[in-house]
Amino acid sequence: MTTAATLPRPRALTFGNLWLSGALLLVMALYPLVFGKAMNFGVSTLIFAGLAMSWNILGGWAGQTSLGHAALLGIGAYTMTLLATPERLPAFLPAPLAPWWGALIGMVVAVALAAVWGGLTFRLRGSYFTLSTIAVALVLRLVAINSEWTGSSEGLFMPELPTLFGLDLFDRKVEYGLAFAFVLLTLVVTHLIRRSRLGYGLQAVREDEDGARALGIDPTRMKLIAFMISAALTALGGSIYAIYLQAFEPHTLLELPISVQIALMAIIGGRTSIQGPLIGALLLSIFGEVFRTVFSNANLLIYGVLILVVTIYAPNGLMGLFRRGGLKLGVNR
Amino acid sequence: MTGLTASSLSAAGVKAAPLLTAQGVTIRFGGVTAVKNINLSVRPGEILGLIGPNGAGKTTLFNGLTGFVRLSEGRVTLAGRDITHLQPQARSRLGMARTFQVERPFEDLSVLENVLVAAFLRHRGRAAEDHAYAVLERVGLADRAAQPAAELNLARRRRLELAKALALEPRLLFLDESIAGLNPPAQQEMVALIRELAQSGLGIVMVEHIMHVIMTLSDHVICMAFGELLAEGTPAAVAAHPDVIRAYLGDDHD
Ligand SMILES: Nc1ncnc2c1ncn2[C@@H]1O[C@H](COP(=O)(O)OP(=O)(O)OP(=O)(O)O)[C@@H](O)[C@H]1O
Ligand SMILES: [Mg+2]
Repeated sequence: MTTAATLPRPRALTFGNLWLSGALLLVMALYPLVFGKAMNFGVSTLIFAGLAMSWNILGGWAGQTSLGHAALLGIGAYTMTLLATPERLPAFLPAPLAPWWGALIGMVVAVALAAVWGGLTFRLRGSYFTLSTIAVALVLRLVAINSEWTGSSEGLFMPELPTLFGLDLFDRKVEYGLAFAFVLLTLVVTHLIRRSRLGYGLQAVREDEDGARALGIDPTRMKLIAFMISAALTALGGSIYAIYLQAFEPHTLLELPISVQIALMAIIGGRTSIQGPLIGALLLSIFGEVFRTVFSNANLLIYGVLILVVTIYAPNGLMGLFRRGGLKLGVNR
Repeated sequence: MTGLTASSLSAAGVKAAPLLTAQGVTIRFGGVTAVKNINLSVRPGEILGLIGPNGAGKTTLFNGLTGFVRLSEGRVTLAGRDITHLQPQARSRLGMARTFQVERPFEDLSVLENVLVAAFLRHRGRAAEDHAYAVLERVGLADRAAQPAAELNLARRRRLELAKALALEPRLLFLDESIAGLNPPAQQEMVALIRELAQSGLGIVMVEHIMHVIMTLSDHVICMAFGELLAEGTPAAVAAHPDVIRAYLGDDHD
């Protein structure tokens, strides 16, 4: 038996499991070499993996369930596309903006929206925030459908885009690279949060708001910061998604099912884990692909059952199950 | 009813300026008055004991003084500054810390991480982690540092509550029944620790049902019943007060 005195002092300030993240990144990096013919699936899966990771900064770390992230995705997609399309430019812009500048502006707009939106709703307790997310996404969708300048219900077509370091942005391989960089960014941000004062503040707020307040933490401020980071990353993902889609309608981009799908990936994978949302996105995308071809219409039913099983038996998602197993092993050692 | 006030004043003598003062604190929930016109003050290094039967309003008074419940009437100052309308988190930053009567650890976090959340109030990075660990050593929880907080037993949860409060490096500490429910050796340790904290200059307000603990530790005792002040003064004077004996000791012997 080891005694207390001989135990090494444990550390709290770690980046989390970097090996697991490294292994996942390796798998994602090798995918195009093995499945070069299924690049569409690869790109969309990676984009949604990054979106689930972005969602989780708010939904998992701060514990605020959003069912309106499609709105932020839409802001990224619309802003970038509108600013890159010569015929749709606002009057004060002399020339279309390169997609990276457009994406950056989309992120700024999303952060501003999150600041106002969170500022209004986070002071209220309970499920008000979740309800508001559905409402905001609904309003944005209505605006997009009914406004001439956003292409109404037909949506937008991506114009010719300048090359990035000589790379054609419409090449699926390049898009895969962009999506990979997006996932990498969300993963790095999450690892940094894990180790930071912000990360512990967020977890404290998630677990017990009054307990957090007693320790000098302002829950509203914490949730706002998480929302703004989540919004910026989601808008960036939206811009990349727009390039991948090349044409999009409000009906496909701003719908509730998109928001739900992003949230589910994170929840099923495990929202209290760093890599949970990423793993959830990969698994659900693969299963979704298989179910679609094998079961066709029973697809949704299986989704439903999966959600029930996870919420009842594994409230911390798949990663929560693994962690629980790991702890048991640790005790028996 | 409050005939002991004069003697308590002379006992306090001419010491440092009060750290905490509360004047006319009243807290109502709808039609129920849970706390009625309570006045108190605590100086650095002083331990104020708060007693009273179940439902007397002790925890509600704590909540009012720490900002978790809005005062219906009255005024609270910390080191001369009016903090009546400050949020709890702002009070923590000014040097107030509290424990909760029903312990509330962040269950998904380890013991060390629980304390780290508090340590981040005044420290950054590794320094915060070192500080959190040092506090765990001080309260005798260092050997549990890596354990999930959800797995702690009651006695250790109580210590964790205290550790989190201490990691804030407060000037004023509110302890809501930190000792009740501990076994006698653990009680002794806790009493020694609280005394040591007061000697280092902390002002302490403590609620406790165990009479001999409150009587040995407190410099000054306030007894509440039905939200009102019943008696106050030195521990011996309050313990001998007929109203206190009737209302408190009568139905809750220790
Ligand atoms: N949020 C609230 N809403 C309504 N009534 C409340 C609220 N909080 C406390 N009370 C009431 O105020 C009274 C005082 O309760 P409080 O918990 O402060 O007593 P206490 O002295 O701490 O008791 P104990 O020794 O059992 O801890 C009780 O009658 C309680 O029901
Ligand atoms: Mg109480």
